[in-house]
Amino acid sequence: MSEAPAIEPKEQAENGERPAVAVIDLHKSFGAVEVLKGVSFAARQGDVVSILGPSGSGKSTMLRCINLLETPDSGTIAVGEETLRFAKDRNGRVSTPDRRQVERLRRSTGMVFQSFNLWSHRTILENVIEAPIHVLKRPRAECVAEAEALLAKVGIADRRHYYPAHLSGGQQQRAAIARALAMQPKVLLFDEPTSSLDPELVGEVLRVMRSLADEGRTMLVVTHEMAFARDVSSHVLFLHQGKIDEEGAPGQIFGAPKSERLRQFLSSAK
Amino acid sequence: MDVGFLVDTLSQLMRGVPLTLELAATSVSLGFILALALALALETRRRFIVWPIRGYVATFRGTPLLVQIFLIYYGLGQFRPAIQALGLWGFFRAPFWCAILALTLNTAAYGAEIIRGGFQSVPHGQIEAARACGMSRLLAYRRIILPIALRQALPSYGNEIILMIKGTSLTSIITLLEITGIAQQIISQTYRAVEVFACAGAIYLAMNYLVAQLVAVLEYRLSPHLRAPDIETQAAIEGGLH
Repeated sequence: MSEAPAIEPKEQAENGERPAVAVIDLHKSFGAVEVLKGVSFAARQGDVVSILGPSGSGKSTMLRCINLLETPDSGTIAVGEETLRFAKDRNGRVSTPDRRQVERLRRSTGMVFQSFNLWSHRTILENVIEAPIHVLKRPRAECVAEAEALLAKVGIADRRHYYPAHLSGGQQQRAAIARALAMQPKVLLFDEPTSSLDPELVGEVLRVMRSLADEGRTMLVVTHEMAFARDVSSHVLFLHQGKIDEEGAPGQIFGAPKSERLRQFLSSAK
Repeated sequence: MDVGFLVDTLSQLMRGVPLTLELAATSVSLGFILALALALALETRRRFIVWPIRGYVATFRGTPLLVQIFLIYYGLGQFRPAIQALGLWGFFRAPFWCAILALTLNTAAYGAEIIRGGFQSVPHGQIEAARACGMSRLLAYRRIILPIALRQALPSYGNEIILMIKGTSLTSIITLLEITGIAQQIISQTYRAVEVFACAGAIYLAMNYLVAQLVAVLEYRLSPHLRAPDIETQAAIEGGLH
């Protein structure tokens, strides 16, 4: 096990500052396979946390637990003001969380998927304004103005009336980032955002993510992009077989890895 | 060829067109509403909901429409006292309403399967994206899942509408004087089956051609996202790749 994490994964830190995201003792099994075996960590406001690990280490599952696309078997998840606790009852059944609370939590987390998942029947602009108008019930004109600014920011303002299928992968992923930002989330979750892109399109997406980090947005990024993790993140988690094997500042993780497994992982990733 | 007879026959058969269209339009509309409700109910995946629907679908897809029309019109007549007690005799006594009921139940069974297929074709990732931004289940269905599913189902549903228009011809068996019913009347008076049925067939052909065209237009207008982009868009995409 690694040494003490940067901040204690408690819902409320000692100094009264509430972490932007806190995950405590998270367990998750799919059938007989235990994917997460007690993961705890916390991210402060403005942290960029990179989550590394070999495939099957549970990193995507952990990310998907944070906005409850997967329901944890047990543990606590806190994002902003929302705290959800999970426990198995006496019969071993997983508790079902309150639907309203789940929806509130999801409104404050923006998710960017590996395969973009833009809504294929709506244009890029419609994709971005969809949730602000229909979930947050904000006025349409305001949402359109904001969406256009966001699309300009990610560099695809001129593509706003195109359908997703008519854009390149990199453009689709940048649109998906704009869609996530449109909800004004407290934390952005990235699930291997560049893994399904052609190599020459990876850069444009990473550039957008880098600029978001520079703005001080709280981001959790599951990634295989070692350079991004090293240069952009404030904190790195290395998952192995459902547990955090090592964590720390990127300098420490990449410069002086302690665990043998992390060393192996880093040398094979080069 | 007796052109005068053909023209005369055609003009007589045309008097059956309104009833044919009324039967088809009513049963397709009601059938669609029922099919949508059934397909949505199947989405619950609850056994006590799913199994009865599967039984209904299997029954109405597995038996001939003609048999269904017979059973509803003549078969239910045998239970006249019970139906009268329920106050429904006025409905089941009328061949028109029995025809509507049979056609509706038949098309709803096929429609439910078509729409279920539409639901299955909605990419899972797009549903997850809807959940991830905090949409309730109802909102996700209304804004994301249903529009995609129905667009996907449209070509098959167009097929079903055409089948229903042709299916209305079977209601002539319970005395309805739609196109085929009138055709049989003329044949029984003239014994010129070939010419009369050829005229009837031509009318069905023309109606179904129009319906197919309407569905094709609807399909085109609802699917800009599925088409290859036009040349201008194509050029812009290529331009955006560097």
